Amino acid sequence: MSQQIDAKQRSYVHYYCPCPDVSKTNNNTVEDEEEDIIESIPDFDVNSPRLHFSTFPISKLYFCEDCHQIRCPRCVQEEIVCYYCPNCLFEVPTASVKSERNRCARNCFQCPICQNTLTVVASTELPPPQPSASSNSSASTTSGAPYYLSCGVCRWDSQEIGMTFEKATGLALQLQKTEDERPDVKEFDHLKDHFEKHLRLSAPSTTLPSSLLSIPGISSFSNRYGGGGFTHPHQKSDDVAEYKTTIKIENDDNLVHDLVQLKDVNQITTLTQRMNQLSDQPYKVERLQPQRIHLRTKRVKRCRSCRHILIKPEQKAQATRFKIKLVALSHIPKITITSKPNLVLNQKTEIILKFSNPLYEEIIVDLALKKDETTETNEYAQITLLAPHFNITPFNEVWEYDEQDFNISSKGRPSSTASAPKSDIGIYERRGNYTSVIINITPLAEVDELKFPLLVTYANKVKDNNDNNETSGDAPANDSSTAAETVSSDKQNTDADKPNTDADKPNTDGDKPDTDANKPNIDNIDKDESTPTTKSLFFWTVIGLGPVVNQVTAKPLPPTRSPLTNNNSNVAPTRTNINSGKA
Amino acid sequence: MEPPIVYYPRSEYIETDTGNKVSRKSVICGSQNIILGGKTIIQTDCVIRGDLRRTGGGHAVVVAIGRYCLLAKGSIIRPPYKTYKGIFSYYPMKIGDHVTIGEGSIVEAATIGSFVHIGKNCVIGRFAIIKDCCRIEDNTVIPPNTVVPSFSIYEGSPGMFVDELPECVQDLYEAKTKDYYSKFQSKDS
Repeated sequence: MSQQIDAKQRSYVHYYCPCPDVSKTNNNTVEDEEEDIIESIPDFDVNSPRLHFSTFPISKLYFCEDCHQIRCPRCVQEEIVCYYCPNCLFEVPTASVKSERNRCARNCFQCPICQNTLTVVASTELPPPQPSASSNSSASTTSGAPYYLSCGVCRWDSQEIGMTFEKATGLALQLQKTEDERPDVKEFDHLKDHFEKHLRLSAPSTTLPSSLLSIPGISSFSNRYGGGGFTHPHQKSDDVAEYKTTIKIENDDNLVHDLVQLKDVNQITTLTQRMNQLSDQPYKVERLQPQRIHLRTKRVKRCRSCRHILIKPEQKAQATRFKIKLVALSHIPKITITSKPNLVLNQKTEIILKFSNPLYEEIIVDLALKKDETTETNEYAQITLLAPHFNITPFNEVWEYDEQDFNISSKGRPSSTASAPKSDIGIYERRGNYTSVIINITPLAEVDELKFPLLVTYANKVKDNNDNNETSGDAPANDSSTAAETVSSDKQNTDADKPNTDADKPNTDGDKPDTDANKPNIDNIDKDESTPTTKSLFFWTVIGLGPVVNQVTAKPLPPTRSPLTNNNSNVAPTRTNINSGKA
Repeated sequence: MEPPIVYYPRSEYIETDTGNKVSRKSVICGSQNIILGGKTIIQTDCVIRGDLRRTGGGHAVVVAIGRYCLLAKGSIIRPPYKTYKGIFSYYPMKIGDHVTIGEGSIVEAATIGSFVHIGKNCVIGRFAIIKDCCRIEDNTVIPPNTVVPSFSIYEGSPGMFVDELPECVQDLYEAKTKDYYSKFQSKDS
């Protein structure tokens, strides 16, 4: 079982975002333009070391409707809309974030030892005598105070460092005084005072969006180094009076002496513990202090090229809904590997890729391994796309509810489409809003991970004048007659794909009004362009298939993969039916 | 990679009117205190302790589980307990919709939101609160009283925030649990 899971995880479909390589400004919405672009696509190298940083699973991608392009997490711009504490989920007003130093100002503390959240516990007895070296905790300590912080993981509690509280609420406020007296805080405030005088004088000629100004320091940064700042940085910095520190770093001879004497490694702080206490980064465990929990943010995401909003969360900290959510999952075809037997060296294997259409319109998909190539042989494998050109029927919400119904209707499908053999070679299954296609692959080298590139070009019909004229009469008619008619038009038409796509429409009569209703909207968007026929987009994907094994080592594997092979044998008859129907 | 169809012997599971599939080999204690939302699968060797109810009289819901949830093999659902003002008591647990709990995980949370994935061999500590749209990786230990905010991935022991989930996770988990339910089919054998 575990082997099966491992194999599953190692097969993936990742989508490529070209943003790090080229900044394309081309708007490839019109078909003939798109041809040119395809020719200008640079060859896609699946073995490039940069691949890891430019390919993403579809769930991480966004889709900009205005640019009609995929956007990855690296080509979106983020703006903070709301700060909240991840522990108490309290929404912190942007105005007070700065003064609270980006941390929760209520009751949420992090364990200095294991970085977990601490809980407030009431002590029933007097706290034990304070351990030594609790230098700066005296302010908060009142002997006999009934509350302290306790960690549920490592059993650390704040009594160890002599930190106790009089009330169970507003702990951060009770610690405020101690925090303000810390040397690093004092020094920072002093620094701020020193430079603020100067910064107030320089003109606030900032180009940053207003929400970014709330990030501490960024406005001063932009003033000094951003828009126009480059011309006079020296002059300005010369005006600043010389800064004198208020605090002297103490001589660490004593510390070194103490460290030399240490016998137990547990008495010294780990790197993580030190890094979580940036203020003084102590070496001694007893000097570690519980830290207030860092705030988290909700962010708006914008397309970098057109500045349109792709993601807009609801303001409330606890809400999980989005006002705007343009994710790739609901805009571009989703590719999943539905069946993948173990890859054995020099053995031809069929893998099945399922393309699902999230749109309310029918789409036509073209596949290629390189530019216009459907077969490829390289040192690793020989790959053949059996169905480089196919269509996918639109998404229909009704299907989600009566799964059974469409199962039955799709069973009649192979016979009706079998009369159009041209389209069905390599099509494994057509059902609902997805089409599964077969890819033949023969591994030629024993590698840990076999992967190949796949260029996917898809077009959804926005308004096709020619096509509408031809088949407008067909659409309302019943199943069998339209199938026959579209087949006949298939022969007349040199362009084979258009009738094909119509062949599927009658089956989905129920959603016809939907697609029609959608059409005018999209027409409006494209009005400025001269009668667009289709709206198309291409993107590269990387299909990872996991390891290729040699026949000898492959033998012990099959029993663990039995559920999958069962599955295959169950569906196999339907495929042979299709084949025999064709013959 | 698409998950394969899972077949189970017809006699092993009881299917309720609302589509819940409960294994006969699971241990369900105090079933009158347990609510299943429908189309929820409880697999073999699961334990749900509906009998650990609040001290004091009256009928009370102890474990409420939403729709399209999956309790995989050997997972244990146990309501959290604490001693408050000297009185020991169990407290009710609520689990939302589209929640997957992996094999061998032990859950003592106070609340688990909707669209949550909990991996295998996890321990969710007492009174932990897991909000909507979260992912707990395999072998994670969430300490007691921890709050896992929405869109976070927690991993490790003790469980720590490691990454954010993408915005479409709700759709993903909904599709995944529905897909699993439709592929969890009975077979006469």
